[in-house]
Formats: sequence, structure tokens, C-alpha cells
Amino acid sequence: MNVYARRRIANGAVMTLSVAATAFGVLWLVLVLWTLLENGVAAITPALFSQMTPPPGSAGGLLNAIFGSIVMTLVGTLIGTPTGILAGTFLAEYSRGSRFGEVVRFINDILLSAPSIIVGLFVYELMVVPMGHFSAWAGAVALAIIVIPVVVRTTEDMLNLVPNSLREAASALGSPKWKVIVMVSYRAAIQGMVTGVMLAVARIAGETAPLLFTALNNQFWSIDLNAPMANLPVVIFQFAMSPYADWQTLAWGGALLITITVLILNIGARAIASWSTFKQ
Amino acid sequence: MAADTAVVGRLAASGRRGGVIGDVVFRSLTFLFALLVLLILGGVIVALIEGAVPAFRTFGLSFIVTEVWNPVTEKFGALAPIYGTLVTSTIAMLVGIPVAFGVALFITEICPLCLKRPLGTMIELLAAIPSIIYGIWGLFVFAPFVQQYIQPAIIGIFGQIPGIGALFAGPPLGIGILTAGFILAIMVLPFISSIMRDVFETVPPMLKESAYGLGATRTEVVLRVVLPFTRVGVIGGIMLGLGRALGETMAVTFVIGNAHTISASILQPGTTISASLANEFTEAFGDLYRSSLIALGFILFVITFIVLAIAKLLLLRLQRQTGG
Amino acid sequence: MSPATARQAMPISSPDSRRTEAQPAPRQKVLIRNVDFYYGAFKALKNITMPLHDRRVTAFIGPSGCGKSTLLRVLNRIYELYPGQRATGEVMVDNENILSPGLDLNLLRARIGMVFQKPTPFPMSIYDNIAFGVRLYESLPRHELDERVESALRRAALWEEVKDKLHQSGLSLSGGQQQRLCIARAVAVQPEILLLDEPASALDPISTQRIEELIAELRPDYCIAIVTHNMQQAARTSDYTAFMYLGELIEFDETERIFTRPKQKHTEDYITGRFG
Repeated sequence: MNVYARRRIANGAVMTLSVAATAFGVLWLVLVLWTLLENGVAAITPALFSQMTPPPGSAGGLLNAIFGSIVMTLVGTLIGTPTGILAGTFLAEYSRGSRFGEVVRFINDILLSAPSIIVGLFVYELMVVPMGHFSAWAGAVALAIIVIPVVVRTTEDMLNLVPNSLREAASALGSPKWKVIVMVSYRAAIQGMVTGVMLAVARIAGETAPLLFTALNNQFWSIDLNAPMANLPVVIFQFAMSPYADWQTLAWGGALLITITVLILNIGARAIASWSTFKQ
Repeated sequence: MAADTAVVGRLAASGRRGGVIGDVVFRSLTFLFALLVLLILGGVIVALIEGAVPAFRTFGLSFIVTEVWNPVTEKFGALAPIYGTLVTSTIAMLVGIPVAFGVALFITEICPLCLKRPLGTMIELLAAIPSIIYGIWGLFVFAPFVQQYIQPAIIGIFGQIPGIGALFAGPPLGIGILTAGFILAIMVLPFISSIMRDVFETVPPMLKESAYGLGATRTEVVLRVVLPFTRVGVIGGIMLGLGRALGETMAVTFVIGNAHTISASILQPGTTISASLANEFTEAFGDLYRSSLIALGFILFVITFIVLAIAKLLLLRLQRQTGG
Repeated sequence: MSPATARQAMPISSPDSRRTEAQPAPRQKVLIRNVDFYYGAFKALKNITMPLHDRRVTAFIGPSGCGKSTLLRVLNRIYELYPGQRATGEVMVDNENILSPGLDLNLLRARIGMVFQKPTPFPMSIYDNIAFGVRLYESLPRHELDERVESALRRAALWEEVKDKLHQSGLSLSGGQQQRLCIARAVAVQPEILLLDEPASALDPISTQRIEELIAELRPDYCIAIVTHNMQQAARTSDYTAFMYLGELIEFDETERIFTRPKQKHTEDYITGRFG
């Protein structure tokens, strides 16, 4: 077999393998979503949204867990987003080339990919131990710490995309720097920043590990942020690992809910991002 | 002349709402929150060290190489979780890197334009699915599948070979290190693939065209031109994926079996640092038990910090190279 | 007949036409004195001394990299946004040195308007674009603000085209309209001096012509400095011209004289296209 034929075969092999790899990746996505739908749809009943998590062997729903997840996600986002935006603004607008800015950026990227269970441990030591008990506040803070690096990154990236000529034009009118940032730069970057927040929310909506040692779980309905609060991920963890069939069904239902939320947020964020580039 | 002073007078008289003070306040505010990011990391390090000190004081550095984990006799050793973390991550990389490369290759070089966006999005949605979803899916769907088909096949093919056979010894349980590693591979491949795609796109088209113009096949262009050009970014992406794999918790917890043992066979159950933490922390009794777990967390943090720092430095170097 | 069309109708070599128009005697509004400028260690401007006259248009011409934009940006100290850039010397505006360190830059920039090479509408409505600068320094009641916006848009010859869509985004306008929007934005704060940095270079020929007509209409009320790489534009629109080369001011004179009887050979070489 001459050299050229061998090269062609090698090429064909690699190309086929890469198609196979892509099909492989897409296959798993489809498989996971399919089984999620298959097993979770059985649990989507009105009871899911109206009843509390039951003891094993009885019927029930996930209302307290859904509520807890929404509350802690919301509070975590409310704490983390302004923090992230302001820190990201510092990196983009005030720290050109400064050592401090480089260090913050570096540390931020480390936090971005750090294991979320470590964040849970940190907040455990920071809040749960001094307070003496688990609480939804601690859970929300843990989620906020996961939100912050995401929002810092997207804010900085989006603000860096705003052309300098726009800032110069505002300064040339005599605008003080903070107004240039707030009234011009933010407005120009708003779509990207919103996308970043949506992606951050999608990330924390499914996080379990940081809540394991902070908010823990709560069998009953509770709106007390100062006490352990039920939440979907930890409930899924508990119920899925259990031997009880009705608990397992509820776990699948909760998993389906989380996945739908996360997918909507992700696809929505992408849609906004591509709509804005289309506009320009 | 009178008109000019009127302009100046009007401007000065208006008192310039929110001028210098606004600038100082806003700048300080953004600085403080940037500082907060540093403080968070500092806090994590301090909290971990503080919590881990009792364990290290009791066991010394031999903590890292001891396998025994007995809450009753209060003898703890990190070797089994560390081993599990490293092995599952290795399996994840061995499976994930080639697949991620194949995906990146397909999407950037072969894929028709109209499919690029949807396919890319689908692969990235793999990354968006939360860890616990992979966990529950892994436990109920994937592990039984592995137990029924994959593991018997592996045992059949490799079990008889002396030496390697030990890697695949034992009954097919479904759960275990191999399964955990495999699920990690699926979770990690979108990260690696996405970074690979980004760096592949930075290759100047003219560079590729000159190779094609000499009659190179696509494979040759990718392996001989694109990969060398992007190798810094590719390695950075791989290290980023590794960082993720090391820290993954929920998916691994569901399928690894949670046994504090080290076995040569990857078909056996084991444990990782994050899985141990997830399973045992809330029920840990006694300060030494808890401190040992926190010490595990500290070790994990150090490992991931080093990996992520290397990844970041590599990607920074790439940025400086391409000026972007 | 507007001064611009008068100038276009007459060949350049008859200066008497201009003297028959009644014009106030030119007064020095700005005096640039011994100004040096540095980008880091690189000296971009060397000992520039020249005046800018009130109610006249002064053009800065010269080949790429000669420092004409740099000089323009000294006048409103916009370079201060970037560390590493600095200017020494004096720039006297109405006998006040605007390069002095203690000066309030924001107030200064409210007196001096700038229009950039590429149109830079803010991501807000047309109305808000114009009102942005005004709101910085004055709290006007709504109807006064409306009047200010309208008069600025009229001055920029844009009012008729946008009066029905003031609340649409500024980005929805065409390139030429966006640039006129930026001009309207600059005049809305009622500055005394207008700095135009190659305002028409990103526009098509028809928009360019409209911008040039606009400059002629604004001339009686402002001290205008315009940077242009287009010599014919400088000849058409300006009263005074400064020719710069490699950071130095080679020649400064009335536009008529520079383009017909330049004193420096270098100037003549540039004008006749021997280099550029």
C-alpha cells in the first residue's frame, strides 16, 4: 500500500472518529434528558407543588423544597450579583494593568472553578459554627459565593467590549467618571451582563454540595431563614439514595424540575446574547 | 465676552451634581468589592487550615498516606479518598480528552455551517446539567447498564490477561471507580471541548490554507498545524477540565460506592475526597472526625488550586501570544 | 449666500471676496504656548505655539502621525483618561491656563465640545443622547430641556429628520445622521470651543458635504478647530490652517496664504502632494 493510500485511510479514520465522538457526546445528552423525562414525568402532579416532603411510605410533594430553593437562589443572587458587578467594574474600569487587578482576576478565576463543596465547608466554618445551627442564610451566602466569580467574569468581559470611543465621548461632555460608567458603559453592556447573571442563576439552581453543610434540609414547611430550610438538591440526594420507591419517584420529579429550569435559563441566556449580536 | 462668563457662571453655579465626590465614592466601592474577592479566597484558606489543624496535629503528615478510616477508633487516613480522587479524574481525562478533541475537531473543521451553532450548544448543555442530575441518572440508569453489559465485557476481554487482569478483577457491581470516572468524563468533556474549539478558531486561516495547499489531508493539518499552534491553550483547557473533575461531588457520590478502601481493580467501589465529605460530614461525631474531613477538604483545595493555577497561567501565556 | 458656498464659488486665488463680507475682527480665543506632549517616553509634540481665533475655523493638517489629533486632544485634556500620557507648556483659553494641574477637568470639558472620527451615539434614545450632557450640569424643567434638544438638533441640521422619532435609539440612525447627532450633542451644552477630529472621514461624500456645510453654519458662534487629512476639506472649510509634521508646527497662517503662497518648502511639498 503506498504512502498516499495510507494517509487517506488515516484521514478517513480520524474524521470518522471525530464524528463518532460528537455523536457520542450528543447521545449522552439525549439519554440523560430522555431518562429524566421518562422517570420524572410520573412525579409531575399537582400534589408535587402543593404538598410537603413526606416521611417514607406516604404520599407527598416537594413544595417546601421548591420554595426553599427559590428563596435561597434568590437571596444568593441578590447578594452575589451587585458584589460581582462592582468587583467586575473595578477590574474593567479602574485597574488597567495594575498588579492588584491582575491578582484579583487570577484569584477570581480560581474561585470560579473551585469545588463547590469547599465553599460549603467555608461557609460552615464562617456562619454555621458561630451561629450554632444550620440556616437558609448560610445556604444563600454559600450560593452567593458561587455566583460572585461568574458575575465578575462576565461583567469584566462585557465592559471590556464597550469601545473606548464611547467613554471618551461621554468624558468629552464633562461627565464625571462614575457617570460615564453607570450611564454609558453599563447601558452598552447591559445585555451581556444580564446573560451573565442568568448563567450564574442557572449554575446555583442545581448546586447541592454547598447546601449540604449550610442549609441542610428541613422536612417541614419553613419560611424562617434563620433555620435549616428544605431545598430541591439536598432532597433529591436524600430521596434518591434511599430504598423507598415513592421517595425515589419524588427525587426524579425534583430532578426534572431543576433540569427544566436550568435549561430554560441557559437557552434563554444564549438567545439574548445572539439577539444582541444580531442587532448590531 | 459677556456670553462667555455667563456660560462659566451658569456651570459653576449649578453646583455640578455628583462630581468629584461621586467619583471617589464609586471608585472606593468597586475597590472594596474587588478586595472582597481576595478576602473570600483568603477566608477559605484560613477556615480550611483552622479546621484541619487538629487532624494534622494528631496524625502528622502520615495522614496523607494512611489508608485506614475508622470513626469508631478515631483513626483516620486520607489515602483512600486521595487515591479515589486521582484515579477517577485520570479515567475522566483518559476518556474525556480524546472525545473532547474529536468534538472540537468536528465542530471547527468538518461540521457544515448550519449545524455548528446547534451542535455547539448541545455539547455545552452537557456542562449546564447539574451534578446531582448526573448522580441520580448514574445511579439508576447508567450503573445498572454498566453492570449488565460493560463490566462483564471488560472482565471477559481483559480479566484473563495476567497483570492487567488485576485492574479489572472482582464481580460486576455497576457502581465503582470506573463508573464514576466515566460519568466524570461526560461531565468534563464539554469544558475541554469548548476551550479547544475557541483556541482552534484562533488559528489564522492562511496558515491552514498553506498546509492544505501543499496537499495535506485534514487530519494532517489538524495534527501538524492546528494542534502545535494551539498547544498552550489546549493544555490549559485540559488542566481546567482536570480541575473540575477533581472537585466534582454529587455525581461521584452517587455511583462510587463509598468504601474507604484502595483496591487495584477499578471495578471495585472506592471513595473520593468530595464524596467522603458529602456523605459523612453532617453525621460526623467528634471533633477529630470532623477535623479529618476538613483536612481532606484542605488537601482537595490544595490539589485543585495548583491545577487551576497552572491552567490559568498557561491560558494567560496563550493570550499574550495571540494578543487577545 | 453662506460663507461656505461663497468660498466654493470663487477660485482660491482671490482673497478679496472674503474681505467684502462683513466680519468681526478675529479675536484670539486660545493661545497654545510651548506645548510638548509625551506618550510615555515618546515625545509626540514638540514646542507647539499657535493661536486659535474665536468665531473662526482653524484646520490642522499633515501626514499620518504628525500629531494633529494629539494636539487637538490636548485642548480638552481628554488624554488625561490614559496614564502615561502627559502635556507640558501652556494653553491659554481666555487668559486662563487650562493645563494647570488643579483645574477641574469636567468643567473644562463642558466648555469645550469634541466630535470624534467615528460617530459615537450613546446606547439611549436620540433625545437622551442630546440631553445627557445638559443634564450633567443643569437641572432644567422639561419644556426648557425640550427646547434645548430641539435647538441643538436644528443647529446640527438633524431636527427635520428625527423630530418624530426622538425616542428611538440613537443607534438606529445612519452613519451621517449619527455624526450629526454627535455634533448636536456637543453643541447642546453650549460650549465656547468645538474640536472636530476628522468628523467626516468615516462618512460617505454626501454626508461629508453636509458636515462641511454645518461647520460653516456653526462658525459664527464658536471657535472651531478641525483635524483633517483631506487638504481640500481644509481649504474649503477653514480660515486658518496649521501644517504639522512629525510633532512640529511647520507653518501656521491664513488658509488662503498656506494654499497659495506657503512660506515653507515643506508645506508646499505636502500641499502639492509630493509626500503624504
